[in-house]
Amino acid sequence: MRKIILSLLYVGIFLGLGACVDPYEVEIESGAQLLTVDGMITTDPGRHSIKLTRSDTYGSVFEGLIRPVSLATVLVRNQDGVVTYLTEDSEVKGNYLTPEGFAAKAGDTYTLQIQLQDGKTYTSLPETVGNPVPMGNIDYYSVEFPVEGELEPESGVRFVVDVEDPSDENNFYYWRTENAMFEVNARPDLYMDRETRAPAPKDCCFTCYLAESVGNRSMFIATDDDFNGLSTKVTAMFIPDDGLRFITTFRMDLRQLTISASAYRFLRLVKQQTELSGSVFDPPPANIRGNMISLDDPDEVVLGYFMVAGETNERMYIHGADLDYRQPLSLIADDCRVVVGAEENPPSDWNP
Amino acid sequence: MRKFLLLIVFIIPVLVQGQTQPKREVIGRDIGQLKNIRISGRLIDEITGDALIGATVTVPEINLTRITDNNGGFELILDRAEYNLEFRYVGYETVLYPITAVGDGRISIRMIQEDFQLDDVVIFGRDPEKNIRSTDMGAITLSMNSIKELPPFLGEVDIIRSMATLPGVSQVGEAAAGLNVRGGGADQNLIQFAGAPIYNPTHLFGLFTSFNADVVNDVTLYKSVIPTRFGGRGSSILDILPKAGSIDRWGGDLMLSNYSGKIGINGPLVKEKVSIRGGFRGSYINWFLGALSNPDLNTSSANFYDGNLVISAPISDKNEFTYSYYTSYDDFAFASDTTISWKNNSHSLQWKSRLSDKLSLDALGYYTQYDYGIFNRSGINDFDLNSGIVDFGAKVFAMYQISETNKVTFGGEFKDVTLQPGELIPTDEQESGLLPKKVQDEFGRESAVHFQHEFELGEKIGVSYGLRYDMYQYFGPRTVRQYAENQPISDGSAISETTYGDGEKITSYDGLGPRGSIRYSLSKSSSIKAGYNKMYQFIHLISNTATIAPTDVWKLSDEFLKPQIVDQYSLGFYNNFKGNIFETSIEVYYKDIQNVVDYKDGANLILQNHLETELIPASGRAYGVEMFVKKNLGRLTGWISYTYSRSLRRVITPYEEEIINDGDWYSSNFDKPHDLTLIGNYKVSTNTSVSATFGYSTGRPVTFPEAKFDYSGNNLAYFNRRNEQRLPDFHRLDLAINFKLKGEGKFFDGDWTFSVLNVYARKNPFSLFFVDQEGSPPQALRLAVLGVPLPSLSYSIKF
Repeated sequence: MRKIILSLLYVGIFLGLGACVDPYEVEIESGAQLLTVDGMITTDPGRHSIKLTRSDTYGSVFEGLIRPVSLATVLVRNQDGVVTYLTEDSEVKGNYLTPEGFAAKAGDTYTLQIQLQDGKTYTSLPETVGNPVPMGNIDYYSVEFPVEGELEPESGVRFVVDVEDPSDENNFYYWRTENAMFEVNARPDLYMDRETRAPAPKDCCFTCYLAESVGNRSMFIATDDDFNGLSTKVTAMFIPDDGLRFITTFRMDLRQLTISASAYRFLRLVKQQTELSGSVFDPPPANIRGNMISLDDPDEVVLGYFMVAGETNERMYIHGADLDYRQPLSLIADDCRVVVGAEENPPSDWNP
Repeated sequence: MRKFLLLIVFIIPVLVQGQTQPKREVIGRDIGQLKNIRISGRLIDEITGDALIGATVTVPEINLTRITDNNGGFELILDRAEYNLEFRYVGYETVLYPITAVGDGRISIRMIQEDFQLDDVVIFGRDPEKNIRSTDMGAITLSMNSIKELPPFLGEVDIIRSMATLPGVSQVGEAAAGLNVRGGGADQNLIQFAGAPIYNPTHLFGLFTSFNADVVNDVTLYKSVIPTRFGGRGSSILDILPKAGSIDRWGGDLMLSNYSGKIGINGPLVKEKVSIRGGFRGSYINWFLGALSNPDLNTSSANFYDGNLVISAPISDKNEFTYSYYTSYDDFAFASDTTISWKNNSHSLQWKSRLSDKLSLDALGYYTQYDYGIFNRSGINDFDLNSGIVDFGAKVFAMYQISETNKVTFGGEFKDVTLQPGELIPTDEQESGLLPKKVQDEFGRESAVHFQHEFELGEKIGVSYGLRYDMYQYFGPRTVRQYAENQPISDGSAISETTYGDGEKITSYDGLGPRGSIRYSLSKSSSIKAGYNKMYQFIHLISNTATIAPTDVWKLSDEFLKPQIVDQYSLGFYNNFKGNIFETSIEVYYKDIQNVVDYKDGANLILQNHLETELIPASGRAYGVEMFVKKNLGRLTGWISYTYSRSLRRVITPYEEEIINDGDWYSSNFDKPHDLTLIGNYKVSTNTSVSATFGYSTGRPVTFPEAKFDYSGNNLAYFNRRNEQRLPDFHRLDLAINFKLKGEGKFFDGDWTFSVLNVYARKNPFSLFFVDQEGSPPQALRLAVLGVPLPSLSYSIKF
């Protein structure tokens, strides 16, 4: 669909009209610093996180820095009044975590409540946890996209899930990845001394493991409006190939979340905005309304969304050799530990 | 500096004209006579020497007009003074002849046939004061002659784009297909070709209009008080009439330009009885693309064509049958995996009859079809998506001419509309992750009866009043949802469903549309008019974007989506001077629009079976003042049109999440307060002319983000109040030069047109948008469709 949307630009290029898209300076008033909520709790036991930040002026990071909101009191409360406090992550400011092993219960209704250091209080609208839907078979394959002006097409791996949709309810799906990690393959034996350019082979290390956060910027969502009660294939994730990830083994957890209708609507707006191309066929900019409200000032705008979800997930290992198309492999002629964050030993749950 | 240059471009032709005025002749023997100087003369064709019968001789200084007699002769009685005589005859170059009348005398005037389009309609050829004397308001007929003198776009004369040079008519941007007339949406215009509605008359996403100017006789835009015989759309009617072929000799034309070529042929099928005209235009962009080395481009395609056929049979003085066929086709593919195609097809058959000296009848039947498809062959989830509209209908229109200044018209019409909003067909069901889906077809019928009475009360007052009664029915088969009361209409608030059988009525609407205007003449050359107009519209364009796209869905009114109702009040002052050489007008209007469609944030409109869950009812209003100065005759012709207008929308519903801008009035997507067009055409000689168009308008409204926020790793823009900022102002200058090559005899006289669009290479932003792309900070980007001075060359011959 995106290609259709871009057609107008291509028509302009075809006909030599000089059509172009270029950065444009606009004067944007300094933006309000609005509280933003980003996080969810699910039925999967673990430490679920809610991130609090403040919005800022639209533009580059230099114009407005999105700052974390620290030292807030954050809790979730279910319909029976059972309260669970979240504690702020000691390493990542503004990131609040549930206790270890916390799991939301399908069918329960939760609200998120926040009290800031200045005493202002906020709450979410009640959100009810959907029933987790088991994931069927997951296929993956490489896909290529020709890019204008580039010899090599861009590529990546697409994951397609067989969804066995329950017929007795209207389901809204959201897919995310977590725990992505890949094997970093280096050639320390090809190392050259930086100054003399003379070969200076190293003994270690050829293989490292790098955890990364990848893939959740694009929104993969679906509603069963068109396949209620049926089994269907849905594209649930796309991981771009950066020339490193898919050299040997890539691992990730694919999470299938069942969310509420209004959470789905929120994500659809986010998705729409991330896919704008500026053509005449674009929808107008939409106000992405969330589910948070201020208890002190009903007119105060609070951004973001507190989500609750039924979760099923599956750990997957992708072997680069199985892919039909890969980006030219990037060669690291050094000890693999020079890659920031790379560890020599795999974690205990690395089990390709 | 630019402004200065522009000034020069427009002033030079005026100065040049001043320098090339013919020398003033002194007529008569000066014996001191002061009054009753008798000047007689004769008008003849320069080449054949034939007398020109029925030509006009005008003395602008004393507002005197004479018509030449059967011998081409005329006689003027003048006082001793200087005069600038004007001789005009359809199909001939106007002759300006300055004289000083000192005594009785005789002159002989030789007129040259106009090389430019002999068979064109000349706007005010026979009745130069029509704009002053009639009760019509906001009806503008542009002859093909005027349109062809505008700088062409990519070598092509563009009928719809030309309309946007008129006051009160604008377009969203440089590649926008639709017209916005007096603050109305693009779907509020009924575009009809030979009486049949055409839904998407565009090529290449709106870069070209898909009507071939060579087969069009004239184009009339009704935007103010619309005659009661037209209805069904809220803002305007664009009535395009095809041109019949010659009944006595065969001829044709051929044109080649940068991107397309066209050929036309016409002549008598049966001599003096039946004529035929055929026209075909096709693009050769695919040849260019195929020759490119870029693999994305040489596997792309952009193909279009359109064709026309007109068969006309004036079987007697009193009866004439005309059949007209129109087709247009486009397909467009980028890097060969997704193709979009759209096509129009329409047939119409018209019977015009003069039943008596006073009563005439015009009956028309038509069938028109619009289809579009998206064909995805990317290898993943391949599909075909098809959509279409079929209309067939008939109209009868009668006119009873009680006297020259008193006539009654009446008639009726009906139209059956079938919409196929969309069907998705996975083409590889085994592998595809897609499921087939079909949105329910829609069936509606519009019918109307109407009458109108025009008469004059004495010399000064003219009155036209009329009434149109519109009826609309919406039929099954269809399954309709009911929604819980006191909740926004959404999937969640659906409570039950009702199934209607084939042909069963689901809902109906009707309405009386009074229309009227009154004219008061201040003098022979000036008048004031006031009018009121009410229109109903039962079909809506469901498009969340700024302009018409070929893939837009149309929707009939149903129990949720009420008909649009437009009330318009207008007042105008009209003045011609210098013997109708100059025509000026000022019109003000106010328009109230009910039941405009607006959309919920993030509305999902494609393949949507329950569109009511995505729509919000809005109201609209528009007002403005339009000023128009036109020079009809002389070497320099052209017009200046300036409009100040506003087009606003408002959404108030009981549900807070649906309200836009707190329920305040906000600018529509096409609200452009200042809009100025300058058009000049200067005939350098009988075979060379130069034309220039300059357009300026306020930038259209856009929404800037109020903040950026972080969600799921994306820097998102927080948009709050809609359409409160504007794009930079739009302005562009286009120039064209047209010259004729004189061949031997009548054969192969060629017309060369060289034009440059966007002479000073302004990158007028089509849109601004805000993105957070990986690897660069969130920022505003500008899309400009036309970024360079764009030359084009076309060559046409008549044979």
